[in-house]
Amino acid sequence: MDPFETMQAMGDLWGRSAQSFWDAQRNMAGAMNTAMPGNLAMPDAVAMQKAQAAFEQACASAQAIATNVTAGLDAARQAARERTDPIAAEVLAKVFDPRGWLSASNEVDQALNRMAQGPQLADLWTNERKFAALFTAWAALRRRNLEHNTIMLEAWTRATGTFAKAVNARVEAGEPLESSRALMTLWIETANDVLLETQRSEAFLRSQRESLKAATDLRLAQQAVAEIFAEMYGAPSRSEMDDVHRSLTDLRRELRALKREQRTRRTAARSKVTQTPEAPIETAMQGAAE
Amino acid sequence: MSKATDRPTKPLPLTPLDAMAEASVLGKRIAEGTKLFGEVMDDAVQIATTPKDLVWSQDKVRLYRYRPLSPSKGLPPVLIVYGLIGRYTMADLQEDRSLVRNLLSLGLDLYVVDWGHPGRAERYVTMDDYVDGYVDACVDVITERSGRDTVSLLGICEGGVFTTCYAALYPERVSAMVLTITPIDFHADKLSDRPNHGFINVWTRALEPEDVDRLIEAQGALPGALMGSIFSQMTPMRTLTKYNLDLLDALDDKKKFMNFLRMEKWIADRPDHPGEAAKQWLKDLYQENKLVNDRFELSGRIVKLSDITCPVLNVFAQDDHIIPPETSKALAGRIGTDDYTELGLPGGHVGVFVGGKSQKLLGSGIADWLSRRG
Repeated sequence: MDPFETMQAMGDLWGRSAQSFWDAQRNMAGAMNTAMPGNLAMPDAVAMQKAQAAFEQACASAQAIATNVTAGLDAARQAARERTDPIAAEVLAKVFDPRGWLSASNEVDQALNRMAQGPQLADLWTNERKFAALFTAWAALRRRNLEHNTIMLEAWTRATGTFAKAVNARVEAGEPLESSRALMTLWIETANDVLLETQRSEAFLRSQRESLKAATDLRLAQQAVAEIFAEMYGAPSRSEMDDVHRSLTDLRRELRALKREQRTRRTAARSKVTQTPEAPIETAMQGAAE
Repeated sequence: MSKATDRPTKPLPLTPLDAMAEASVLGKRIAEGTKLFGEVMDDAVQIATTPKDLVWSQDKVRLYRYRPLSPSKGLPPVLIVYGLIGRYTMADLQEDRSLVRNLLSLGLDLYVVDWGHPGRAERYVTMDDYVDGYVDACVDVITERSGRDTVSLLGICEGGVFTTCYAALYPERVSAMVLTITPIDFHADKLSDRPNHGFINVWTRALEPEDVDRLIEAQGALPGALMGSIFSQMTPMRTLTKYNLDLLDALDDKKKFMNFLRMEKWIADRPDHPGEAAKQWLKDLYQENKLVNDRFELSGRIVKLSDITCPVLNVFAQDDHIIPPETSKALAGRIGTDDYTELGLPGGHVGVFVGGKSQKLLGSGIADWLSRRG
């Protein structure tokens, strides 16, 4: 493969994963409405729609700003009639893309989702009540993810503003950036500072806690459903396995305690045997010292 | 939501020649990197290669003794105790960056306990079991083999908390203790004004105790993947650039590239943390800060730092964003001995073990300190 293509492919891969995530989020509400069975109401639909609307608004703003700033940079380069380094420019565009930001900073959400993903929803239609609880938990997790992503996009917007000011300040101070790579480094440093600040904000921490709780609730709801099937098919359930593991741990603990007791007794006995003939010597030495 | 209306108004001062030169250099590096990628197989990326022998095992726990690399100094044997987040292999990442090799070369008799990969079956294993059970059993084996009554302990991160507890509960069995990157006061991160330091402390305090309980109930463990993502959050933009820009920088030469891959291998090997032990770690220590306040209980006994009577060397990394130095240095003045030494080394949490300069200072610093105590 052409080495230039390798770098571009790397950038494309990055962009594509971000795009998939982006598209999935944007289309989620519609897809859910289509998939919903008639006899099940959408759980907390208002909150979900509100979260979706806030997220879409943040997306649109972020995308508009990204286009604006990128166009500004392009215009600046063209004004200089420079031959832009195509690779660095490509990577810069990817690094600067809010979708890339979202996909990277969304890693915790992804980890939570991975933790929560279990059986396919289609497998669960046989038990509507359990399914409803499961679906409620699933929808709550998606809603929390949307809320969290909105916070991240707002942070991205703040970072963009700070970055644009920093670029202008450098130019006006007569310290222009000397390469596309330098521009990218400035963006990374600026964005990093804003992200660190965001991560310590009450809104971020609360939102991430809510996402964690939602992921946990979903996992527990899945396990409740799985228990039914385990019982139906005579397979050991999660809670039964946990009971076994608890007993096993207790038994191991008791065994260790017994072994230790045995060892202590053996050591004490050995020590008694070796100390007995030496006692008079020790006593004599003590007497001499006194 | 804030607005970003400011746009760069002046061009970048790049000439076409500069741009071409930059593109040419970049292209050459990518070409060399592509070639390297094609050449290196996963089997060639080995970590923790220092020869060692299995001397004891129980459940998933293994105790190894390293084969000597130099004549013995005749000092008490040293037991390395790593934590349950990450694996001990970090202390022996590669031949030229290995605390293990450095200590062996300086004539120490070295053991390491490997906690293995705890699974859901270890959900109910507690820190009591690790300290009072496994560490104690390892000390038994080592003392029996060496014919001595005591061992020296070398704790790393959470493993340092284990050894601290052990030295407080069994002072008669520990000749000396070296702590590295070990938190003692889990709330001392508040004393630091560095925004990239102590995010785990902040994050954990933002949770309620019942959040932790439910997480463990649902998962049976503190998932290694979750901890990995929290670590990634601590260096947010690095997460975005790691596998392109950083990797590109590592492609300059094969040695650098292999170092990068070995570190990746270690990072990828992040076991789940047993559930009940994780509850103690997150709730008792990170949230309630019981250790430094003499309220932490193991096997029905309170761990009192003042009961630690052996000499202590406390090593911290000056730029440790995971365990901020303030949380480690809190041990000063709290133990029952005046033989307390601090050693602050340049670098971060992992860098102190594998960084070119720090890892040499770390090995010699520990060996010299132990030698002086006989």
